[in-house]
Amino acid sequence: MIYMKDTPTIKGMKIGLEIHVQLTTESKLFCGCPNKFTREPNTYVCETCLGFPGSKPRLNRKAVDYAIKIGIALNCKLNPEMFFSRKSYFYPDMSKNFQITQYEMPLCNEGFIEINGTKIRITRVQIEEDPARIIHIGPIEHAKYILVDYNRSGTPLCEIVTEPDFSSPQEARTFLQELSSMMEYLGVYDSSIEGSMRVDANLSLPKNSRVEIKNISGFKEVEKALNYEAVRQNILIRRNQKVLRETRGWNADSGVTISLRSKEEEEDYGYIYETDLPSVTIIDKANELRYDIPEFAKKKTDRYETELRIGRDMALAITNEPDLAEAFETVIMTEHSETIDPHLAAVFFSKILKKVLNYENIRLKQTGIRTEWLINIIKRIKNKEITERTAELLLRDMVLKPQDPDILLKLRGLTRIDNKNALEPIIMNTLKENSMAIIDYKHGNKEALEFLVGQVMRKTQGRADPVTTRKIILDKLDK
Amino acid sequence: MNKYKLSVKEFLEESAKGNINFLDFADCMQKEVEQINKKFHFLREICNIKDRLYLKPPLNGLPVSVKDCICVKGVESCAGSKILKDYVPTFDATAVHRIKHQGATILGKTNQDEFGFGTFCTNSGYDVPKNPLDPLRSCGGSSGGAAGLVAALDYPHIALAESTGGSITAPAAFCSVVGLTPTYGIVSRYGLIDYANSLDKIGTIGKTVHDCALMLSIIAGKDDRDQTSLGERKSYSIEKSTDLKGIRIAVPKEYFQNLDKEVEKHIWDAIKKMESNGAIYEKVSLKNTNIALIAYYIIATAEASTNLAKYCGMRYGVHKKLEGNFNEYFSAVRTDGFTEEAKRRIMLGTFTRMAGYRNAYYLKAMKVRTLVIDEFKQLFNKFDVIASPSMPVLPPKFSEIKKLKPVEHYQMDSLTAPCNLAGLPHLSIPVKNRTPIGLQLIADHLHEEKLMQIGSVFEKIR
Repeated sequence: MIYMKDTPTIKGMKIGLEIHVQLTTESKLFCGCPNKFTREPNTYVCETCLGFPGSKPRLNRKAVDYAIKIGIALNCKLNPEMFFSRKSYFYPDMSKNFQITQYEMPLCNEGFIEINGTKIRITRVQIEEDPARIIHIGPIEHAKYILVDYNRSGTPLCEIVTEPDFSSPQEARTFLQELSSMMEYLGVYDSSIEGSMRVDANLSLPKNSRVEIKNISGFKEVEKALNYEAVRQNILIRRNQKVLRETRGWNADSGVTISLRSKEEEEDYGYIYETDLPSVTIIDKANELRYDIPEFAKKKTDRYETELRIGRDMALAITNEPDLAEAFETVIMTEHSETIDPHLAAVFFSKILKKVLNYENIRLKQTGIRTEWLINIIKRIKNKEITERTAELLLRDMVLKPQDPDILLKLRGLTRIDNKNALEPIIMNTLKENSMAIIDYKHGNKEALEFLVGQVMRKTQGRADPVTTRKIILDKLDK
Repeated sequence: MNKYKLSVKEFLEESAKGNINFLDFADCMQKEVEQINKKFHFLREICNIKDRLYLKPPLNGLPVSVKDCICVKGVESCAGSKILKDYVPTFDATAVHRIKHQGATILGKTNQDEFGFGTFCTNSGYDVPKNPLDPLRSCGGSSGGAAGLVAALDYPHIALAESTGGSITAPAAFCSVVGLTPTYGIVSRYGLIDYANSLDKIGTIGKTVHDCALMLSIIAGKDDRDQTSLGERKSYSIEKSTDLKGIRIAVPKEYFQNLDKEVEKHIWDAIKKMESNGAIYEKVSLKNTNIALIAYYIIATAEASTNLAKYCGMRYGVHKKLEGNFNEYFSAVRTDGFTEEAKRRIMLGTFTRMAGYRNAYYLKAMKVRTLVIDEFKQLFNKFDVIASPSMPVLPPKFSEIKKLKPVEHYQMDSLTAPCNLAGLPHLSIPVKNRTPIGLQLIADHLHEEKLMQIGSVFEKIR
């Protein structure tokens, strides 16, 4: 097995990508079925997405709007109107044995985005339907039959095709990350859904044929597959062997690409117009949606750094997730700005809130936590009513069950304790139970002090104010 | 004696007055339909009329037959194909939904050429219907069962039919009944099993123009479930038509080439009768007529070949024992399930859209289609309707049809394909009672009312 962890330094490499992303519309592209994941197979289906005789597609205009936004964000030339075509091929995941996609007149052409100063040209952006999901019983090679789940059939996909403008697998990966973030900011895509981005990548070395790698899920895998492929082709060339023009598949488990078919075996899709769907005028809608394009992560991070003077790492942690950034900006909005300092808010978002969200593996928007509750907590931290540790405990409860922190605080009695009279008995108890630590401290071990403070924090579930606690312990020890 | 030998109009009047014993009516009709069907094979599936009686105005339980390619919820719908055996739709076609809600009783599914692939109804995957005027001859196709049943059944009844390239006009002419093919789009195709999406039109066949107008008033009008559908829901009235004064009729010379002599004579008689009733006719030329037929067959087969791809023995219709890989399995299902004509059209259609041929055939045909439409449109600046024979021949005998080469078979559509390609509304009216020759009248898009008014006058003066 050939596998290299780092980007191989092979000169003149050309990589192009074809990216399919699932759009997060409420319903499917050509019927009213929910566009949602469910474990129960073949439940979100109807005559249209099952391709029953007599059914007809009807276009979900929301999906068109979503794709238009992507086109605008990628600086594309939007066509004044577009229409759909039928791409014919037989495959068990296809409900009609043709896919409704675009061919002659896609949504848009000729766009570009800049990635670290390199201009990546976008060839086209189009809308199409996702086929059903195939489930293999056991390993593919030995499966006697397959199962087909049509819940995915008819999911709206946006296909983005780039020119072969990437010169390394790592660059391709960076582009995909950037693209993913942009689409999340546009509110048209959710990277947390498994298989929501599938990529066909093509790679060629100087004076050699182009090889396409089909259907890679996730950008890490894209980089791995391309690395593998670059090395494989480079070895062939060094051995004076020919790189065949072919289509290969990526096996993520074994980390190798496998030949699927040669160029001669390529199918002829026999495109015709999809005359069940009239052409769609997009220019008016595009002009309207132009005003809906948000500020993307890169620009936001720069702005947080320069305008709000927030450290780059913290800024990145916030802008990485659009809903986090949105909540953050609401929190520091003018009306609260007298009370909430952006820096304190940034610490809260990037350290405390993000830690809790990551721990529960959930997005802020999925929790039901209201922005005003976050403001409430930040203010309490600022006014030293609660500790950062308490804030974390509160957030944990809120993630599991969205509720007002005021109620939670009362319920759990989690207000900060900095009253000397209240703290003293707890500290006295702690000292009594940890006589060894006292000896250690007296022998000059400063860490013993931190240990004692920690014990007090534990006893009070983090409510004890650390500064006051430390002062009292020092007083007692130095007596 | 049949005590229910009523026209649709009479039936509606009598039933409104409460003069009809519906249970008896249903029993008598059921017997009659079953008897006729044994001899002529008009219906692939007969419903239990009594069970389906739906006594609600305005149709008050009027029996309506539905062409096999139009889905009826809970009733096996096969579009004349064996591959769709056991396909029971879970939904009603919009046209069916609308007539049901207006009080129609669904009589059954009428036989047709498989998916509409034919002019004589001899390409059905099931029984071949026979012409009620002469059982040795074809009743025309592809809506052959619909037209035959209208002609043979002496009961109040209207048929829901469908035309892609002449499938309403051809059988209406051969069975000597009235066939209306409306403007493309004004009747929703939702629930219609596709032949060629850009050409398919649901229409109606009845004993009189009145019956067709009644049916169109119920089924036409925009439907959200078919995005190509258009037009308002309105009542098509033919009552005010009394004469043809000032009506301008175009008679294209290309529609009079290679005609059967008897057909030619009857059509000229018909045109002369219209003239004597006040119409003005003029001989014109429609130069694109011959290429229209070619363009029609290219587009129709290209679209059909993609529409038929879905039939692979999964999810619905015929299933076979699971053997071999996916390609082997669906090839076996399709080998048995399709008739020879379906296979021919799949091959033709696949060829015309293949890389390398697509520009020369499919895309060229789409351009020709625009030319054909433009030529018709220009004519309608000057004329109200175009008059021509419906079919170039009399209904052929089955023995004659067997000898036809596919191309000769396709040429039978030369008079109907152009107006179907252009999506224009057209009407076929028998030149005389019980005579298998139709006068075809073609009008501009959305001019169904004018078309039917002219047709209804002709009906009185023929």
